[in-house]
Amino acid sequence: MTHADPHNQPQKRPRRTPLAARGEPMVWLTGACLSVCLLMIAGLLAAVLVQGSVTFWQPRIHQFTVADGSVVMGVPVREEAYDAVGEELAAIHAARDAGALPDGSLHADGRPIRRLYRVGNREVYGEPFRWVSLYTIQNFETPARATLLERREWGVWVGMPQSVVREDLRPAPAEGEAFEAEGFATIEGEGGARRVERAVVQTPDGPRLRERVFIAEGPDAALSALQRLLPQALERWRRIHHLNQAAIGEINHELERERLRHREVELRHAEGRVTDAALGASLARRDARLAELREEYRHVEAEVAEIDREDARWRFVIVEPTHGRFAPVRQTEPDEFMRLSQIVRAVPANDLDLAGRLGVYFSRWGEFLGGQPREANTAGGVFPVIFCTVLLTILLSIVVVPLGVIAALYLREYAKQGLIVSAVRVAVNNLAGVPSIVYGVFGLGFFCYTLGRYIDAGPTVVWPKSNWLLGVVGLLVLTAGAVVAGFLARPVPGQPVARRARILAWSGGLLWLGAVALLVALFARSPFFHGFYRARLPSPTFGAKGLLWSALTLALLTLPVVIVATEEAISAVPRTLREGSYGCGASKWQTIQRIVLPRAAPGIMTGAILAMARGAGEVAPLMLVGAVKLAPELPFSSRFPFIHVERSFMHLGFHIYDVGFQSPDSEASRPLAWTTTLLLIVIIAVLNLTAISLRARLRRRFVTGAF
Amino acid sequence: MAVTRSTIKPMTTHSAPTPSVPPQGASVETGLESLAATGVQFTVIDAIRNNRPFTPAVHETILEQDAIVEVKDFSLHYGPSKALHNISMPVPRGKVTALIGPSGCGKSTLLRSVNRLNDLIDSVRVTGEILLEKSPVYAPNVDVIELRKHTGMVFQKSNPFPMSIFENVVYPLRIDGEKRKSVLKDACERALRGSALWEEVKDRLNESGLSLSGGQQQRLCIARAIAAEPEVLLMDEPCSALDPIATLRIEELINEISKRFTVLIVTHNMQQAARVSDYTAFMYLGRLVEYGPTAEIFQNPRLPETEQYVTGRFG
Ligand SMILES: Nc1ncnc2c1ncn2[C@@H]1O[C@H](COP(=O)(O)OP(=O)(O)O)[C@@H](O)[C@H]1O
Ligand SMILES: [Mg+2]
Repeated sequence: MTHADPHNQPQKRPRRTPLAARGEPMVWLTGACLSVCLLMIAGLLAAVLVQGSVTFWQPRIHQFTVADGSVVMGVPVREEAYDAVGEELAAIHAARDAGALPDGSLHADGRPIRRLYRVGNREVYGEPFRWVSLYTIQNFETPARATLLERREWGVWVGMPQSVVREDLRPAPAEGEAFEAEGFATIEGEGGARRVERAVVQTPDGPRLRERVFIAEGPDAALSALQRLLPQALERWRRIHHLNQAAIGEINHELERERLRHREVELRHAEGRVTDAALGASLARRDARLAELREEYRHVEAEVAEIDREDARWRFVIVEPTHGRFAPVRQTEPDEFMRLSQIVRAVPANDLDLAGRLGVYFSRWGEFLGGQPREANTAGGVFPVIFCTVLLTILLSIVVVPLGVIAALYLREYAKQGLIVSAVRVAVNNLAGVPSIVYGVFGLGFFCYTLGRYIDAGPTVVWPKSNWLLGVVGLLVLTAGAVVAGFLARPVPGQPVARRARILAWSGGLLWLGAVALLVALFARSPFFHGFYRARLPSPTFGAKGLLWSALTLALLTLPVVIVATEEAISAVPRTLREGSYGCGASKWQTIQRIVLPRAAPGIMTGAILAMARGAGEVAPLMLVGAVKLAPELPFSSRFPFIHVERSFMHLGFHIYDVGFQSPDSEASRPLAWTTTLLLIVIIAVLNLTAISLRARLRRRFVTGAF
Repeated sequence: MAVTRSTIKPMTTHSAPTPSVPPQGASVETGLESLAATGVQFTVIDAIRNNRPFTPAVHETILEQDAIVEVKDFSLHYGPSKALHNISMPVPRGKVTALIGPSGCGKSTLLRSVNRLNDLIDSVRVTGEILLEKSPVYAPNVDVIELRKHTGMVFQKSNPFPMSIFENVVYPLRIDGEKRKSVLKDACERALRGSALWEEVKDRLNESGLSLSGGQQQRLCIARAIAAEPEVLLMDEPCSALDPIATLRIEELINEISKRFTVLIVTHNMQQAARVSDYTAFMYLGRLVEYGPTAEIFQNPRLPETEQYVTGRFG
C-alpha cells in the first residue's frame, strides 16, 4: 500500500460486514416487537373467548356440612388462597398437626384455600354467593336430583325438589263447618291416589278453602312431573306476557295517540286556528274513543286474569338444605309455594350426562342470544342489545359513508389544491384525535338539545312574518349571485386566471357561505314552524337521547376515517384511467361516477369498515346521547314505522360496562360481562368480515389479467 | 474524454438516449456533440439551441392536401416552461401522420393539444390556434366535451376501464346517454371488428376488460377510441409497452383503420413510423423541424439533422 497518491489510491479498509449491517439484529428486534403485540392481543382474545364461553357451562352441585354444622348446597364458582389470621390460623395449624386437614385444602405456600359457591336462594340467605374455606368442609357429596332453578326473578334457587302441587281455591266452608284437613284424591289420567291438604286461607276476596293436591312427591317424581308440566306453564307465562306487552301496549299506544291528537287541536284552538265547534267535536270524538279503548282494555284484563288463575294452580316445592325452607312465590308470602311458571329452566346438575349438559349449555346460549334481559341485566338474554347495536352501526354507516365520500370527492377532485384545502385536510385528520366524549357532549348539546328540541317544539325565537319573507327573498338573491359569480369565474383552460376571475371566485364563495348561513337562520327563526311533537311536550320526543342522534354523533366521530380513506383511494386511481375517460368525451362528473368511484370503491370500503369497527366499539359518547341500561321502549317495534330512531336504546359496549361494573349483583353478572364482550367482538368481526369479503369481490374486478 | 457514441445506433431501439456527458447550454439530452466530429452543418438545430428564428422544412406536397387538423403558430407553456414553440402544421385528411422526435420534444403535448386534454393541467397556457375541420379548438365558446367526442385517443399505456369488455367499448356512447341495447351492440361489434378483436372476445364480452392480455387491452382501447366514429384518431406511442408480435398486430390495425379515419400517431420507433405512416413530422425541443411524406423524410430528407435522426445517429 502506497501513501504517495492518496487520491488515486483510496486507502484500503478492512472489508468485514458488521452484524448490524447484515440485518439480523433488526430481524430479531422487529420479530420480538411483533410477537409482543400478537401475544397481548392473543392473550386478550383468549381470555375473552375462554371466560365468555364457560359462562353457560353447568358444573355439578356440591353439598357439604360446614364448621357451624349447617348444610350448604351450591355451585362452585372459583377458588383462591387467602391469608388466615388469629384464631382461624391457630385452628388450621392445629388441624394440620393433627393430620385432620382434608387433602388439597391448603395452598402450596401453606395458606388456606377458599372456594366461592353460588348458593342462590336469596330470599332465605340474603347473599346468593358464599365463600367456604375448604378445610371446614365435611360430608362432601354431589347429591343426585339436586337442582338449580333459574327463576324469572330473585336469581337462582338451589335445592332438592320435593313435590309438584295443584292448588285449588274453593268456597270456604261455613262458620264452624268441619272439613278434612288431610285426605286423598285421585286425579284424572294420573292413576293412584294423591295426598291432599286442605286449609282455610284469607284471600282478597274473603276466606277460601285452599286444597293442595300433591301430584308428585319425592325428588324423582317431582322432577319428572316438573319436566312434564313445565312446557304448559311456560306457554301460559308467554301468553300473559304477550297480552300485557302487545295487546295492552297497543291499547295504551292508541290512548296516547288519541290524547295527542286532541291536544294538538287544543293548541291550534288556542292560536285561533280552529273553531270552537271543531274543538267540541274533537273532544267528543276523543271521549268516545277512550271509552271504546277502556272497554277493550277490560277485555284483555279479564283474559289475563283467567290465564293467571289457571297459572296459580300449578306449584313447585323445592327445599334448600340449610333451613329446610321451600322456594316461596314471593318474598312477602313465604308460605306459598312458587308457581311453575316462575321457572325459566330447571337443571338437575348432578344427573346430567354430557348430552344433557350440552343441551343446557346451548339452551342458555339460545336464551342469551334470543331473549330479553332479566333482573337488571344480570340474567337472561341480550337480543335487544344486539339488535340495537347492529342497527346503530348500520345507521351510522348509512350516514357517514355518503357524507365522507362526498366531502373527500370535493377535497380531492373539485377543490383547488392549495393552502385552504391543506388546512382543511389537517383539520379533518386532527378531528380523529379528539376524545370521543367530546363528541358525546357536542351530540348532546347540538343534536339532542338544539336540533331535537327544534324538531319537537319549533323555534323558540321567531322573526316577524314580513322579515322572514324578506329573508327568503334575500336567500334567493344571494344564491343567484353566488351561481352567477361562480359561472363568471370559471377558469378558461389554456389562459391565465384573470384577476377579475379570482375576485369573482372569492366573492362567489362568500356569497355561498352567506346563503347557507341565511338558510340556517331562516329555519331557526321561522314563524311558520311549530314543531312536529309539541302536543307531547313537555316530555321530549327527539329532544332527548336517541338512536338517530347517537348515529349522527358516531358518524361525526368516524367521518375523518372515511374522508382520509376515500381521499387516498381516489388519489390512487391511475391518471391514465381518468385521461382515458376524458379522452372519450366524458365530463368530470361522468368520469368520477363511472371510473373514479368504482375504482376507488375497495379503498372506500376499507374506510367504511374502519369507521364501522370504531363506531360499533365506541361507548363513551353513547352514554351521553343515547345508550341506556334498560330501554323502556326499544327503537324497533311491530308498529309503523318499525324503526323508531328517536328512542333511546341499549348497546353492547354500554351493556358490558353496565353488567360488569354497575350491576347490583356483581358476582352473578361477571360471567355475563365476559360473554357479552365475546359477543361484541364476534359481531364486530362478522360485520368486518362481511365488509372485507365485499371488498375482495370488488377488488377482483380490477385485477388485470395482463402480464 | 472519450467519444461515447460514435457508432450508429440500431434503428429499432426503443430506449431513450442517455447522454454520458451533459450538453452545454441545453437542458435536454441530445448527443449532438458526438456529431460535431462528422463535420456536417446543423443550421436548424443550431438555431433552435440558440433560440434563433428558423424556418422548418415543410414539404410542399403536404400543403396541397386537404387538412382536417391545422395547427397554426401554436405555442404551449407548462407554467413558466415553454413546451411547444410556434408550431404550424396541417394534418392531411384520411392519412396517417406520424410525429417523431427525441423524448421530451413535445410530441405528446402537441397530440394532447388537439383534443385539449392538456386542459386538465392547471398551469397550461396556450397561444396560437388549432383548427379541427376548420373550426378553432381553443375558441372560448368551444364545448370541450363535444370536441373530444370528435377525436378518439389511444394512450401509451393501455387503460381499459374496470368494467366489462362490452362496457369498455361502448363507454363513449354510454356517456352520451345512449341506452338502446341494439345500438350499443352494433357499435360494440363494429368497433371490435375495426380493432381486429371481435373474433377473440365475442364470446366473453361480459368479462372484465382487465382479463385480456396486454396487446388485446391496447386493441380494446383502440376499439373504444373508434366506437364513437371520431374524425381524428390520436395515438400516443400505442405500441411502446407491447411485445413485438402485439406491436405488429397493432401496426396492421393502424393500416386498416386509416382507411376510415385520419390518424395522428406519436412514435418512438422509426421503423414503425416508416411502416405505418403516410406523412412524418420530426420535432425537436418543442419545434417542428421537418415535415413531409414519410418516404421522403426517411430516404431523402431536406435537412441533415433529420437524416441523422432517422438513421438513429442522434436522439
Ligand atoms: N404536466 C406537465 N407539467 C410540466 N411539464 C410537462 C408536463 N408534461 C410534459 N412536460 C414537459 O413538456 C415537455 C414535452 O413533454 P412531452 O410532450 O411529454 O414529450 P414527448 O411526448 O415528446 O416525449 C417535456 O420537457 C416535459 O418535461
Ligand atoms: Mg410522450
